Amino acid sequence: MLAKRIQPMIFHARRLYVELMFQVMGRALQAVSEVDSEVKEEAQVLPEGFLFEMMVMPNGPSMIVEHTGLGRFRYHGDNAPRPVDLSIQFKHIAHAFLVLSFQEKTSVAFANDRMLVDGDVSYAVRMTRVLNRLESFILPKLVAERAVKEYPQNLHLPEKLVSAARIYLKVATNFVETVRP
Amino acid sequence: MTNKYYEFFCPVKVIAGKAALEHMPYELAGLAAKRPMIITDKGVRAAGLLEPVIAACEESGLEIVTIYDDVPPDSSTSVVRDIAGVYRSEKCDSIIAIGGGSAIDTGKAVNILVSEGGDDIAKYSGAGILKHPLKPFFVVPTTAGTGSEVTAVAVITDEAKGVKLPFTSSFLLPNAAVIDPRMTLTLPPHITAATAMDALTHATEAFTCMAKNPLSDAYATAAVKKVSQSLLAVMDNPKDTDGRLELAQASTMAGIAFSNSMVGLVHSLGHATGAVCHLPHGLCMSLYLPYVLEFNLESIREPLGELLLYLEGPEVYATTPASRRAEASISAIRKLRDQLYKRCQLPRTLKETGKVEESQLDHIAEVALDDGSIMFNPREVSLEDARAVLRRAWS
Ligand SMILES: [Fe+2]
Repeated sequence: MLAKRIQPMIFHARRLYVELMFQVMGRALQAVSEVDSEVKEEAQVLPEGFLFEMMVMPNGPSMIVEHTGLGRFRYHGDNAPRPVDLSIQFKHIAHAFLVLSFQEKTSVAFANDRMLVDGDVSYAVRMTRVLNRLESFILPKLVAERAVKEYPQNLHLPEKLVSAARIYLKVATNFVETVRP
Repeated sequence: MTNKYYEFFCPVKVIAGKAALEHMPYELAGLAAKRPMIITDKGVRAAGLLEPVIAACEESGLEIVTIYDDVPPDSSTSVVRDIAGVYRSEKCDSIIAIGGGSAIDTGKAVNILVSEGGDDIAKYSGAGILKHPLKPFFVVPTTAGTGSEVTAVAVITDEAKGVKLPFTSSFLLPNAAVIDPRMTLTLPPHITAATAMDALTHATEAFTCMAKNPLSDAYATAAVKKVSQSLLAVMDNPKDTDGRLELAQASTMAGIAFSNSMVGLVHSLGHATGAVCHLPHGLCMSLYLPYVLEFNLESIREPLGELLLYLEGPEVYATTPASRRAEASISAIRKLRDQLYKRCQLPRTLKETGKVEESQLDHIAEVALDDGSIMFNPREVSLEDARAVLRRAWS
């Protein structure tokens, strides 16, 4: 582990950031699925009890949400109650960091072979659209435009939820700025 | 610094041109293959396309051990299991797939079973399941369009469950793709046209979609140029061997391009239309290509404009103002479709096919939104967007 001895802070900070952003996303997914009709509509097609995971290969941070029916998601932290149905896997924590720090759009990361899909591709397509919508919710418009292919015209979400999610985001960003070498 | 990153991989040996088939015995011997099995379909056999392959092998003392010629247009798990059984009982040691997309995909799937063992091909479905190289595998395409001879994917229908199983692994790639103009010489006009439009779509989408990269770009532009220069000549003179070879090479090059940079909305809509209305894939590509390019226009203006050079040649390119080139590329493709309609009635709209009801459009749109290739389309596509493109392609 030569690299770890040279740049311990960067590695540690990056990993913490990815872990924190997974938590932000998991909670936000659950929140958004309770209020946003478009996310609900996309999610409704998923089977009840469908487990979706995003993780970093080989055994890095992960986020698991379950479709509990009627388009609702429940966040499970990084513990899957049973084998997941669909997994989106980043090949390296550096690639997860690029996406979760909004330097690379999710769709671009797919195009750039940064991540793999394990499971039904049609569900992966659906979850990517959900994630795009989520990103446009929790990010300020300027950042969101960079993170998703197209910024949606019809974002109507209770201000409370938006600000709550943005607080998470702020915590995460401040965090990464503080520890960034 | 740019965030640009890409991967490019194509380890397939391309054996192309005059008397290419006669190179197969040497190439097979180089892989220690002595007992090849041919996998093909009835159409290929009826067209007399097996004879030159068999003659080329036998003249070099290489015996074709067995021939399975009953691959259906939509290959299934039971067909794959049956063929694997024949392969084993005849003690074959290599596979030669001869045909279009279905025969080639079947060959890939059979190769998984006979290399990995077992009877249940579904077990190997998905990405990255295979961890070892498979048996020697050669592909001889008889249509110039799918590019399956250079793709790492196979799709096989599981009839019992009624689903299509995808298989993805670089080990599915054949050891060699044999491109011999004799194999496409007898292709009927409407299939020549539709499959060439599939190749043109592969190249165009590879060049304009999200995973485009410099290596794929080079293959894509060369493929566009070959199709534009040779397709109508071959339509007018089907026995034009040079033109046939150009189209066959274009198809392989477009295949190399799109298997490394993926395709977009034309294919999402095409796959959906194939599933809902059972229209041939190449025809769907021809139907949707200009309408999807119009939908994507503002996201792909630059690369699409560049394609004009390869679609229309340097003179038209030079005399078209840079700001009008993208539109001119779309017009060039429309013009090509009109010419094909004139020569073989290749439909230009869904209505012209006579096989699609207007009431099916919504269903096609819904299915298209679940297709994997929509992920790589340069513009985000909503259900309403997909419907709008379909309405434009209707008539
Ligand atoms: Fe295609």
